[in-house]
Amino acid sequence: MSEVKEPTAIKVVDAFDLDDELRTILKPGEMVRDAQGRRHRLPRYFYEVPSHDVATGLRLTQHFGLNEFVLVDLKEAPRLQQFPRYVPCAVRLLAFFLEQFRAAAGASLHIAVNGGYRSPAHKLSANATPHMWGTAADIYRVGGSILRTKEAIDKYNEMAEDVSDDVRVLPYGHTTGNNADDHVHVDLGYITMIPREISEDRMEVPQEARPRFAFEERRRNDRRGRAGLTAVPEAEVLRTED
Amino acid sequence: MSAKAKTKAEEKVPLPPQTDSVAASEVSLYRNILKIKQDHELENLGISFFDAETTIQWSYNADHYFHAASTMKLAVLLGVMRQVERGELSLESPVHVRNRFTSIVNQEPFMLDLARDADPNVYGHLGKTLTVRELAYWMITLSSNLATNLLIDVIGVQTIQLALDELDIDGVRILRGVEDQAAFHAGLNNEVTANGLLKLLRVVADHKAYSRKASEEMLSIMLEQQYRSGIPAGLPKAARVAHKTGNISTVHHDAGIVYLDGREPYVLVILTQFSAEAGRGTAVADVSRDIFSTLAGIRYE
Repeated sequence: MSEVKEPTAIKVVDAFDLDDELRTILKPGEMVRDAQGRRHRLPRYFYEVPSHDVATGLRLTQHFGLNEFVLVDLKEAPRLQQFPRYVPCAVRLLAFFLEQFRAAAGASLHIAVNGGYRSPAHKLSANATPHMWGTAADIYRVGGSILRTKEAIDKYNEMAEDVSDDVRVLPYGHTTGNNADDHVHVDLGYITMIPREISEDRMEVPQEARPRFAFEERRRNDRRGRAGLTAVPEAEVLRTED
Repeated sequence: MSAKAKTKAEEKVPLPPQTDSVAASEVSLYRNILKIKQDHELENLGISFFDAETTIQWSYNADHYFHAASTMKLAVLLGVMRQVERGELSLESPVHVRNRFTSIVNQEPFMLDLARDADPNVYGHLGKTLTVRELAYWMITLSSNLATNLLIDVIGVQTIQLALDELDIDGVRILRGVEDQAAFHAGLNNEVTANGLLKLLRVVADHKAYSRKASEEMLSIMLEQQYRSGIPAGLPKAARVAHKTGNISTVHHDAGIVYLDGREPYVLVILTQFSAEAGRGTAVADVSRDIFSTLAGIRYE
């Protein structure tokens, strides 16, 4: 008889409930300025990713796993190079957009290391960018093609813009204007996602310590008349591919 | 080279004392080196070695600065190990493999020419990560330019020079990463002397590159060197050489520590420069062979 694996739950956490070091790194609810001096409030609710296996197995959409949005190198704060990892809940919206972009491109999209979520402590987070909200992706490869020419980057920039009027892309060579760009940047802006379980009248104070879990899989199963994830009765979960 | 010029060069060589084997060997070596320089039409040749077995240190034109080519990667490795020893970097830390760097001259970004870098082991990870240890390995063993620039980005070029200064290694000037064309055109190049590289290698060979552990890490990587047409080509097959080569269109260098059974190692640096027309020959291997023969033949009276 094969072993029946219980689905892995992924917690939604209020970053105010995290330990001091993590709060210092994630800066929940703090205001930060972008390169143009505009102020934006950092996200407060995060998925807590317990392990590499969970990150790899958990699909946000059909073709995008959570692991693809949390790839970082030593530029990220050391604490966030280890599990559990934290990624803003709005990353789901980005995945949904990328799924549409992927369909338009007709090929797989590959997010670069440091090209998904970057914490405020990341060395590339000198100014606020949507990467710190989990709503930006740097795509370095489409299908088998590594992006390194103006023609290729312009082509996919245009394609991404055609998917939605709300997406922003950065022109080729956006950093310096020189001809050494290596990715397509897409972002949805500074979107903060607040899980349903959160009462917004308590936004300025920490929520109760009760853990909350992402809920989509159970809700979807209920809607489709299938059995829910009864193995975790009180917790609503995102299901990993196990 | 004309017979007249050759005769003139040979005339400069002193006659070896008949009663001193070491002095005789040194003079003989000097003559051979001059002949190799002439035969290969080298524009410049710099040599320095130290033999821990006999304690002989010998050099030729060893304070002349050459374009460092890839021998500068030894200094990068030293800088990496400095940061590791200080706890500021881990060899297991992941580094984003990305072909985009910034010139030291105008801060403009530039990319490496994929066709010129010998190492697909690093390019194959574009967009992903390799650890600091893996990058260091490919930087030395296959002379990966991409790995080198990535490591310089991690530690900073100032750290490399700081490491050299801390260990009293002069004769190695590191200003920039690889293929920074704007810096090249501004005349900003990495430069080394034979004596400078000899000091660097002696520090490593003596396990004084910050710690025994750090030195052994460096040696273990250098022993895996895959380009063997320089110093190793002039040695018996049983010799183990921890070394780093350096090649561009008009220079061919090799700098390494030679381990032979039954004796202490010797440290050897050979720097050669030639015209683009003359091209690279076997001068480094020939010098290595002569030095090996000389050291093997030395007998104290």
